[in-house]
Amino acid sequence: MLGAQINPLIAFCPNNNEVHIYKMLEGKWEKIHVLHKHDQLVSGIDWSRRTDQIVTVSHDRNSYVWSQEASEWVPTLVILRLNRAALCVQWSPKENKFAVGSGAKTVCICYYEQENNWWVSKIIRKRHDSSVTSIAWHPNNILLATTSTDGKCRVFSTFIKGVDTKHTSSGSDSKFGELKALISFILQRIVLYLFTYLIVSVTLFAVQQIMQLDLSRSWTFGIRWSPSGNTLAYAGHDSMIYFVDEIGPSPSAQSVAFRDLPLRDVLFLSERMVIGVGYDCNPMVFAADERGLWSFLRFLDERKQTSNAKYGSQLSGTFGKLYGQSKSGSNEANESSRTRAHDNCITSVVPLKKTRDATVTTFTTAGSNTFQHLMDGKVVTWDLQQQQDLMEYLQG
Amino acid sequence: MLHFYLDKKLSYKFIRKIKIPHYSCPFSDRPIMANSLRLYLTCIRNTLDAALCLQNFPCQEVERHNKPEVELKTSPELLLNPILICRNEAEKCLIETSINSLRISLKVKQADELENILTKKFLRFLSMRAEAFQVLRRKPVQGYDISFLITNYHCEDMQKQKLIEFIVQFMEDIDKEISELKLSVNTRGRLVATEFLKQFI
Repeated sequence: MLGAQINPLIAFCPNNNEVHIYKMLEGKWEKIHVLHKHDQLVSGIDWSRRTDQIVTVSHDRNSYVWSQEASEWVPTLVILRLNRAALCVQWSPKENKFAVGSGAKTVCICYYEQENNWWVSKIIRKRHDSSVTSIAWHPNNILLATTSTDGKCRVFSTFIKGVDTKHTSSGSDSKFGELKALISFILQRIVLYLFTYLIVSVTLFAVQQIMQLDLSRSWTFGIRWSPSGNTLAYAGHDSMIYFVDEIGPSPSAQSVAFRDLPLRDVLFLSERMVIGVGYDCNPMVFAADERGLWSFLRFLDERKQTSNAKYGSQLSGTFGKLYGQSKSGSNEANESSRTRAHDNCITSVVPLKKTRDATVTTFTTAGSNTFQHLMDGKVVTWDLQQQQDLMEYLQG
Repeated sequence: MLHFYLDKKLSYKFIRKIKIPHYSCPFSDRPIMANSLRLYLTCIRNTLDAALCLQNFPCQEVERHNKPEVELKTSPELLLNPILICRNEAEKCLIETSINSLRISLKVKQADELENILTKKFLRFLSMRAEAFQVLRRKPVQGYDISFLITNYHCEDMQKQKLIEFIVQFMEDIDKEISELKLSVNTRGRLVATEFLKQFI
């Protein structure tokens, strides 16, 4: 499970209740800190760049904000008021607040209260029908997009008095805010393999929810805004990835279906390129062409041919032998060559290095395998400078 | 009806003394049968490949708990559609998935009464030792002979492809095992009867 990183430091949770911080020293990663405060699995980590604080949330309903004081990481309590596990966390772009998605079907927006020296939260209740799996902040620090296991993606406005400055909203935002009529339209596009359709309902229930997208028929994960905040991308468990452009005046959505296993997380590398990671153990590259049509480009990892599994005739006959076989795992000649970087599902992807115009050239992925023979999980760094054919999408 | 019991030591002792020639496979239409078996297993393999996309998911109903959602079925949005793969009326396989767990239930072919009893005893023997198998369920789902429960923790500890291989290999081995048991029972019955009736010759 991956957290975030500030070059050359990286923080992640190795599938238990600790957070490990590694530092790159002379070309090797060295463990320098272990943050030990949670009781259960740490489900979300985020590292703020400017304020150098780590926020962690866990399945034990707690969250801590860690700040570094003289080479020790000191936790600060966060009053989350959650009664179920927390699933994801992200700092806002200005890093004055962070959002936590939880299994209690709520989202907590937390901000710092100076008087009492703790973080308090405002909770968005009764908007989600199921657990909130992933959240993403818009670059304007106000809009928050969430995905949930009820298959819907929602966009909220999280303006908090006293924390957010009331900015003179741009033309599109104010028009957006005044929109009260219920609009629903169906859009048909032929993308790659099958017909897709979309129903978007834009309503204003109360102050907070701005939009609800009903594109996916299955659970949704891994939501991200593009660097400019113009496009939204998220993955559905039905092996689809959804791109929504122009949130605000006239949203238009595209669904890209691919024939492989579903994705768990996505990352925008530039305005026109997206990396998706998931159960295929191989990052997938999606790109938009000049007209704005998204499509699957290729896999990032070069895969060698896997030989077919041979069903060797087993000597059955005694219970002891069958017993012994199943205990030692399979012993057929299943020689699929493991030349890929990851052996098991990839759970998250974070950017490592950003160029000046906010395109990401290197990123890391973390896998969820805890195979006894290998080390616990793998964190792999990918560098896109080597892939020449993808460089043109990075400039866009 | 000859009374028999699944005692490995006894059967070994018996076979070693008498030295029975091994019977050839009674299934004469082997190519056709093997083909449909291959198709059935390939279908199950592909379905498992798609269904075994599990992830850690804390319980929505009880705090701090982590339960296999396919067993509880408390939140319908976390469950996927179950798939039933039938080879014929007698053999079928039910695959139910959820966000963090998967349940596979098998119904094995039982041609006659003897196979019925053999299957029941053999699979009960295995189910009682479910801890050793880790992915086996102690009681089969209603209407099936044996069930597996695979959770996200199993997928983290073991490779997904190996898990699928294990299930498919298990299905193949069950058939072979039952037919061999049936053969050995009939053989023993014949031998014992021959020995017993010799005294009357």
